[in-house]
Amino acid sequence: MAPLEQLLLVVVASFLAGLAGSYLGVGGGVFLVPFLALGIRVDLPVAVATSLIGVIATSSGAASVYVRDRLVNLRLGMFLEIATTLGAIVGASLAVLVDPRYLFLLFAVVVLYTAVYMALTRENAKDRAYRPGRESPLAERFGLSSIYFDHEDQGVYRYRVGRPGAGFAASGVAGALSGLLGIGGGFVQVPAMNVIMGVPMKPAVATSNFVIGVTAAASAFIYYARGLVNPSLAAMVIVGVFAGTHVGTRLLLRGRAQRIRFVFAVLLAAIAALMGLRAFDVAVVP
Amino acid sequence: MIGPRTALVAVQRRLAALRRAALAEVEDTNRLVYHVLRGGIVVSVAFVVFAFLLSVAGAGPLPEAPVNVRSLDDELARLTPAAFLSLGVLVLVFTPMVRVVSSLLSFAEERERAYVLVTGLVFANLLVGLVLGLA
Repeated sequence: MAPLEQLLLVVVASFLAGLAGSYLGVGGGVFLVPFLALGIRVDLPVAVATSLIGVIATSSGAASVYVRDRLVNLRLGMFLEIATTLGAIVGASLAVLVDPRYLFLLFAVVVLYTAVYMALTRENAKDRAYRPGRESPLAERFGLSSIYFDHEDQGVYRYRVGRPGAGFAASGVAGALSGLLGIGGGFVQVPAMNVIMGVPMKPAVATSNFVIGVTAAASAFIYYARGLVNPSLAAMVIVGVFAGTHVGTRLLLRGRAQRIRFVFAVLLAAIAALMGLRAFDVAVVP
Repeated sequence: MIGPRTALVAVQRRLAALRRAALAEVEDTNRLVYHVLRGGIVVSVAFVVFAFLLSVAGAGPLPEAPVNVRSLDDELARLTPAAFLSLGVLVLVFTPMVRVVSSLLSFAEERERAYVLVTGLVFANLLVGLVLGLA
């Protein structure tokens, strides 16, 4: 394929990755790595490095919009970033020690469970509303609970962040996964907030977008220093992703939480299937 | 003598002022984070587009490998597309780090000890990752 056509193809694919990444809070790494490695046959480390650049671009492009529209829970995001960055370091260091097959199988099960849970649980105005009772001491100490405005029903919702310890641990796992596989870890981050901590879907997606940029940045620098970033490819990804986030953020702001959850669940089911296959040595995706 | 009603009004005014101040602080952090993130991606895209224009104008081919950080200033002075592409990528990669540092300063200014600690830890983790990567 002629280089110019190839670069244009990368722009289009990055546009879609940026759109989906900002709409679902996953950064788009899960779409970009397979596209680059299988679609246009870039070496895997280069694909991972380029995808990390795409994750940061999605995060900066989308999170800035979500921050402006007060959808990001900054405190919660920063609190969880401790866990994701720590996990990323540990994950990168452990990558050589653990047989990845068991990891893939374990994750396939967990992710599939989350997919089913998210597809089946409803989220309406009542579910988003503040629940009575005592707040957990940790959440209170760090002031994690917040408010947001939902365009779906023009409602202002005050929500409480529950189980901060468990959410923190899950974010550590998200970070470790990011260090192991070179993705943003958003597909763990969003359920960690939405399912474990009880954060409504839209702020969960927005806050995940905010967090994954930091998670991806540390490893991206490493890849850059090793000369694995192909600047031309990365540039196409940046431009495409940035354009994509404009559409993705708009879709999320106006979208229905229920639909976002469902699309997210479908994505999770697909990831679970691929991971399960990987556990049995069938590599559909590198 | 101050009557009870006057005292009550004074307390209410004080509380309202405090609440406004708290909201303004949240607003400040929000705005700062917005500008850092937005600025990072926009500057990055601008450098990338400039590099393309340079390349189209015949200043050189689009590169396969990144320009080494040490020779970046030299290449930038010669206006090569490779240098500006690499600069755009680097600006983007450092954006989250700048965001963490600026929110750390913002929390320090507001004397929010818990969040100075939180962002400080995140920054320390990023530095550890950086050092581990360079080693």
